[in-house]
Amino acid sequence: MKAVFLKSTAMALAMSVAATGAALADKANDTLSVAFTKELENVDSFFNSSREGVVMQRAVWDGLIYRDPITNEYTGNLATEWEWIDDKTLELKLREGVKFHNGADFTADDVVATVNFVAKEENGVKTQRNVNWMEKAEKIDDFTVRITTKDVFPAAIEFLSGPVSIYPADYYAEVGPSGMGLKPVGTGPYKVVEVVPGQHFVLEKYEGYHDSPKGQPTIQNIDIRTIPDVNTQLAELFSGTLDMIWQVPSDQAEKMAAMGDRFTVLNESTMRVGYLSMDAAGRSGMDPNPFTDVKVRRAVNHAIDRQALVDNLLKGKSQVVSTACFPSQFGCAQDVTSYEYDPEKAKALLAEAGYPDGFSTELYAYRDREYAEAVSSYLNAVGIQTDFKLLQYSALRELNMKGEVPLAFLTWGSFSVNDASAMVSQFFKHGSLDDAQDDQTKEFLDIADSSTDPDTRIENYRKALQRIADQAYWAPMFSYNTNYVMTKEVDYTPTADEVLRFTNMSWN
Amino acid sequence: MAAPQTTDPLLEEISGPTPRQILRKRVRGHTGLLFGLGVVLLLVIVAILAPVLAPHDPYVQDLTKRMVKPVFMGGTWEHPLGTDHLGRDYLSRLIYGARVSLLIGAVAALISGIIGTAMGVAAGYFGGKVDAVVTFLINVRLAMPVVLVALAVVAILGGSLEVVIGVLGLLLWDRFAVVMRASTLQVRRREYVAAAQAIGASTPRVILSEIMPNIVNNLIVIVTLEMAHAILLEAALSFLGLGVQPPTPSWGLMVSEGKNMMLFEPWLVLIPGVVLFILVLAINLMGDGLRDVTAPENRS
Repeated sequence: MKAVFLKSTAMALAMSVAATGAALADKANDTLSVAFTKELENVDSFFNSSREGVVMQRAVWDGLIYRDPITNEYTGNLATEWEWIDDKTLELKLREGVKFHNGADFTADDVVATVNFVAKEENGVKTQRNVNWMEKAEKIDDFTVRITTKDVFPAAIEFLSGPVSIYPADYYAEVGPSGMGLKPVGTGPYKVVEVVPGQHFVLEKYEGYHDSPKGQPTIQNIDIRTIPDVNTQLAELFSGTLDMIWQVPSDQAEKMAAMGDRFTVLNESTMRVGYLSMDAAGRSGMDPNPFTDVKVRRAVNHAIDRQALVDNLLKGKSQVVSTACFPSQFGCAQDVTSYEYDPEKAKALLAEAGYPDGFSTELYAYRDREYAEAVSSYLNAVGIQTDFKLLQYSALRELNMKGEVPLAFLTWGSFSVNDASAMVSQFFKHGSLDDAQDDQTKEFLDIADSSTDPDTRIENYRKALQRIADQAYWAPMFSYNTNYVMTKEVDYTPTADEVLRFTNMSWN
Repeated sequence: MAAPQTTDPLLEEISGPTPRQILRKRVRGHTGLLFGLGVVLLLVIVAILAPVLAPHDPYVQDLTKRMVKPVFMGGTWEHPLGTDHLGRDYLSRLIYGARVSLLIGAVAALISGIIGTAMGVAAGYFGGKVDAVVTFLINVRLAMPVVLVALAVVAILGGSLEVVIGVLGLLLWDRFAVVMRASTLQVRRREYVAAAQAIGASTPRVILSEIMPNIVNNLIVIVTLEMAHAILLEAALSFLGLGVQPPTPSWGLMVSEGKNMMLFEPWLVLIPGVVLFILVLAINLMGDGLRDVTAPENRS
């Protein structure tokens, strides 16, 4: 009797605490609290381009195919089997008996509606690269669909297992991207119970989750709060109101690791590459525009000590990157021109280009002010004076699309797609984000992107990457790593693709 | 100048110390003023002699020596106050940062002082329509929150030393105008002003030699207040990333850069914070002291 009374009081207490919003984060009430540093523009995964969006996408929705993050093997998720019936047509058999979070049945109609919606450019999917390879989808029967690609597109399976997730047709038609952003509905292992933009997202284990290769979720509730300041995140971790933080800067992670038995600190590499983008096409209207001169771009490449940045600032599993893609990606050739750290040579090149006293330029950045400052310091040392501007990601992206950015420190995580096309083809095919607008690079990429022969692809990506490196359109610098810090209560093994998988987390 | 010797016993009896001697005595007895003046003078000297005094180049980064601890926390004399997150010498950046702070404080106070004084004195002296217009402008200005307007303007024009100085100079004149107007109103009705006007002195002459000398002690207090205000605002803007841009050393920027490591290396924030505090305190004490010793009646 007494025990029952205690239990019910405890429950009432827990409920009232939850109701006031100050949910206690711990194992006892099966709620895992995680922090996001950046705010999501829109939870609808087709309408944001941030890492946090990918994390939400993997939790709330499913793709047709699944790639095992460790073995890189493809298995069926919402589709059970698939087959290329010709160069451009992929036929997929769908899994039966899957239900969306709102109770609707998953059928071929959902696949057809989702694909046909996102593939249309005027619907404005944020990262066109993720979807614009699809022409259309057709329903064959309730559980068979055919997806037609615009050109031959061998990376289709990779994209179907990554950024393309399937939305409920009727619901999406009714509410659209903004409604989906506020009340997301998918088939994924977690359903969204609350979205308070700028504050937090609450996820709850989806009891009816199908037998997916993602595995079954174990933790009941996930509370994701937006906390922009790292110190606040750390303080909350100390006080126990957070169970896990990620993307922790290496300096803080080292200190946390040194604290011993309270926290687990894990480091994993990511596909994110940090690079300097230069206005080689002369779109920014700077007059004279030094970056249209290849000598200046090479000087920038020579001015930066990449190894020192990796050794002292990024640390962990980061590595020096000298191509416009992440080394593990298919087709990401490493044997292209690279530029060693040589400030004297940089100065000489600047003098040759007609800037013996250097010049000044705006330098834009949106994250990692520390790295950006270190880079600007290297540029200052060879005579390139920088007017440093730190913007929000979306603001910088807009500006970049208008072609108003002469020099920017940017990063790209390829949506964790393990294929060079996810990065190099995203930025060098004359889109609005292409600062080079180089025809020859585009030619190579067009061949590589649309060939089914792996050797042709490798060869042409190599040619494109060589051209980019030779012309020094970018100054690729380093790959990122991520530090995950969690309390000892949490059991999680991070993967090398910078995706937090709530489904694989459990309590110790 | 020495007082003329006199042999008249009567005169000798009534002549006390000269006004200058009284002033000196008051200054010497005022610890707040002495402290403030001392600190400000010291920082001005440090700022002027920065290239000589700074042990390292404040812009040279050494990524292998990041966040070396200051000497009082177990560091070495190579970097007495340690190094920052990019391995730049903290003491050198602090010394060069004094230049930025003092320059911004002085120039912004000068610009707003000129604007505010001109408006205030004109309003107080001429009255009528001029007064109505100036009062209206002051009200308009007071209705705008300084920090918000400064943030908006800097966000549009981009942050740089010149922009920050300009924005603060054009925003901080309200107190000058209010105080100068009130002081001029008081002084304007005095007999000596009427006398000057009666002997045919021109308006500029009346303002410059009859009115200004009698309200200048109020002006000094406002100048110091606004200088401290401008320095704090610069630090705040730089902290928010909208003021002086990196790599220029600015104390506000140093606090902001150290903020990320505040939990583990608090001295990164404490050192520039304490120096900023001391400078602003010193300027305020100096202003208070100057008012005390120049006030017509001995209030200290």
